[in-house]
Amino acid sequence: MPSERGGRQDRPDIVVTGIGVISPAGIGAARLWEAMAAGKTFFDTGGNDGPAPALPWPSAAVDTTEITWPAGRDWANAGKYANQSARWAVAVARQALEQAGITGDTEDVRGGTVMAVGSSSDELSDVIPQLASRFRNDPRPLAKFLHDEVPDYSYIRGIPSQLGQFVSMASGFRGSNVAAYGEAAAGGTGALALAVRLLESGELDRMLVVGVGAPLTITAMAAFDQDEPLGTRATAGAGPFDADRSGTLVGQGAAAVLLERADTARGTARARLAGCEVLVAADVAASARLVVDSVLADADTTPTMWWAHGAGSPLLDRVETLAVLPRVGSLPVTGSKGTIGNAFECSALIDTALVVESLGRGELPPVGLLRRPDPGLGGLDPVMGETRPLSPAPMALVTAFNQGHHSTAAGAIVIASTHGAATGDGKVRT
Amino acid sequence: MSGDIVITGMGVITPIGGDVETFWSANLEGRSGVVLEERMDTAGLPCGWTAGLIPEDVKAKVAADYGAPDRSWGDSLMLAAVDQALGDARLDELPAEDGPAALVYARVWPGPTGSFPQDYVTHMEDLAERYDRIGNEPSAVLKHLRGRHLPPETRDLSAYPTEITERLGTAVIPVRLEATCSGGLRAIAEAARLLRSGRAQYAVVSAAVSRNTPYVLSQYGQLMALSRWKGEPALASMPFDKRRTGMVINESAGALVLETAEHAARRGMAQAYAVIGGWGLAVDTRHMTAPSVEMIERVMRTALEQADAHPDDVDTVNAHGTSTRLNDVTEARALHRLFGERMADLDVSAVKSLTGHGSAASGVVETAVAALTMCRGIIPPVATCTEPDPACAVRTSLTPVRRPVGTVLKNSFGFGGQYASMLFRRPATPRPAPQPV
Repeated sequence: MPSERGGRQDRPDIVVTGIGVISPAGIGAARLWEAMAAGKTFFDTGGNDGPAPALPWPSAAVDTTEITWPAGRDWANAGKYANQSARWAVAVARQALEQAGITGDTEDVRGGTVMAVGSSSDELSDVIPQLASRFRNDPRPLAKFLHDEVPDYSYIRGIPSQLGQFVSMASGFRGSNVAAYGEAAAGGTGALALAVRLLESGELDRMLVVGVGAPLTITAMAAFDQDEPLGTRATAGAGPFDADRSGTLVGQGAAAVLLERADTARGTARARLAGCEVLVAADVAASARLVVDSVLADADTTPTMWWAHGAGSPLLDRVETLAVLPRVGSLPVTGSKGTIGNAFECSALIDTALVVESLGRGELPPVGLLRRPDPGLGGLDPVMGETRPLSPAPMALVTAFNQGHHSTAAGAIVIASTHGAATGDGKVRT
Repeated sequence: MSGDIVITGMGVITPIGGDVETFWSANLEGRSGVVLEERMDTAGLPCGWTAGLIPEDVKAKVAADYGAPDRSWGDSLMLAAVDQALGDARLDELPAEDGPAALVYARVWPGPTGSFPQDYVTHMEDLAERYDRIGNEPSAVLKHLRGRHLPPETRDLSAYPTEITERLGTAVIPVRLEATCSGGLRAIAEAARLLRSGRAQYAVVSAAVSRNTPYVLSQYGQLMALSRWKGEPALASMPFDKRRTGMVINESAGALVLETAEHAARRGMAQAYAVIGGWGLAVDTRHMTAPSVEMIERVMRTALEQADAHPDDVDTVNAHGTSTRLNDVTEARALHRLFGERMADLDVSAVKSLTGHGSAASGVVETAVAALTMCRGIIPPVATCTEPDPACAVRTSLTPVRRPVGTVLKNSFGFGGQYASMLFRRPATPRPAPQPV
């Protein structure tokens, strides 16, 4: 296909200068990486190896007790507009900012934010049925009843970009705020891609991309289960790429990735983002093939490792593997969803943070709950049981998808290791 | 060949027209689509419920042509607008190797399910029956849900990008974005940036909103943002008028086809509606809902700088103009800061005076007006502004102003500190009006 896109050397390097993670393993990418390395998993199965008591799907939940909202009058005033997702977003953003030495105390019109979060009206999922019941015996008209009884500001709290305004407060970034999500996002990859375009165009110098995978409502889980049954086991053999995998395991989390142009970076480069895109074709397999080809051509490189989406879905794992392996050959592959489940809107951002962490440590952690790789997935080389050293000058391919059959989007990211900060010409040497 | 990005196709579904020409005629005639929503009981609320409603015949046609069990009403509206725009741009003649295309869109969900007042009442009755029977006990709720049709809203995912892929015959780079009421203009900016990057040669931009429910009414009522106008409903949205009492929500959809000028020329589309000049974006954190003069001025100046233009180069302003007391006076003050003494002679239009406020869709729908303003050399009136507010001191007209227009500055703002402004230029060969059949 014709392209007017300039070559790699014509575009500024984009570097990762900060990452943040909130996961069922706790606060920070390091904790999650080390939990993966130790073979831990975080699924609530009701205290046994069977399903959780209330619902048939084990899920990995975030411990919210460690998540704090900033102090001060402005933050106290803003708090009434903040739901749980906003609190996670701010907390995880501050992790990334701290790594880059950005306090957020000064206004930065060259910085922007992109949120990867859905229409989080979950706070009303239990409230509205109660109100509906009460309304049956209430004399007020429905609109007046809802006006009086629905918690104040819940409409604003449910707006995805509202979370970004809080991240703008935390970062001082005033150049732009937008949410990029849903069927076009492939687990947050779309938000990263949008940020990259803003940076490459020269419109902004730094972008804080923040995703939140909030607890799903029962209705949402039932809907996804209708598309393809969710996983009902969280025991060895239920993980991604396993011959006995039986469905995606659901998780929660939040992640932040601070991207900067290398030539104007305020933080130290921890990795270079060499390519990032989402594509939608007629079906998800075609999307996956196209997007992997696109990002590898864009990055002008060959990956040495693969951080897979690895949903644990019988169908999607096969689609992903068959699309990627012919393009990259047999590479060490790992993934996070056997440890913490699929955090939907932010899963690709969590994986990006884990890749950066892996590049720093020089090792890949193993796939959780993987016991017997599916022989039907071709020449897959999963990291199993213990960590595996990375090759010299590692180059990671990350793949990402949406859940369910409504979206055929596929996302891919290429992340390179770096040695030190940007050089004078704004290019990062690897 | 220039590196211009041009608009070559447009489609709209609005309260004042289900196609571009009907919509444009209504703008020139000052024909309002704002009516009293009689199905909504507003007793006891601090606001009324006038709304910009899509005419029933247009709605019925969209429902017949695009309605499907697994497709939200918002997606049906967007697809209807997109098909108009694709046909207008003659994209059906495009070779497949010109892909991938870009797809940037904003879909405003109606809240906790339901697009029409009567749907929402049914929804609440269902929830009440369920709650009275089983409460919120998770396993019982799950049992209740099993086997029922759960629409796309429940996942917040839809097949819309895939459907566009099928229409275009090529893959798309998709961006579903949300930037409150600035989302439509923001989507145009994102598409233009994608095209400038060389990642795609043409783009579809679309947005839709339909949230005419008691829930949305109740929430906007809480925010004290809605019109309290007691007079003729058609006058309820009156930007820059001293009697204005608040905004009027509408249901609408818009779609645009953007291309690199080179791509348009290569396929013989020599005429275009508009050239994207430049844009300014910003976020403010000082207040969640109130606009700021400084931020509006900032994004307008950024748009001009990016377009290498001076305030004197702006021929007219297509305002955000929501009809709230605070927005209009704040926008007017920013315009005075930017244009100074020129404001006395600078014509300002405000499409929401006739359509009401379509949230993210407004930026797309109103860009169609900005484009036609240049192509046809006519600035639409603000027909409801019969008593201009001296505190705004904005020059509006009750009749169309006919004169050459080379540039339009368009504003869109939103809750959450969202600000966007964009400068459009008249193409060298503007798209002529269709010949009467």
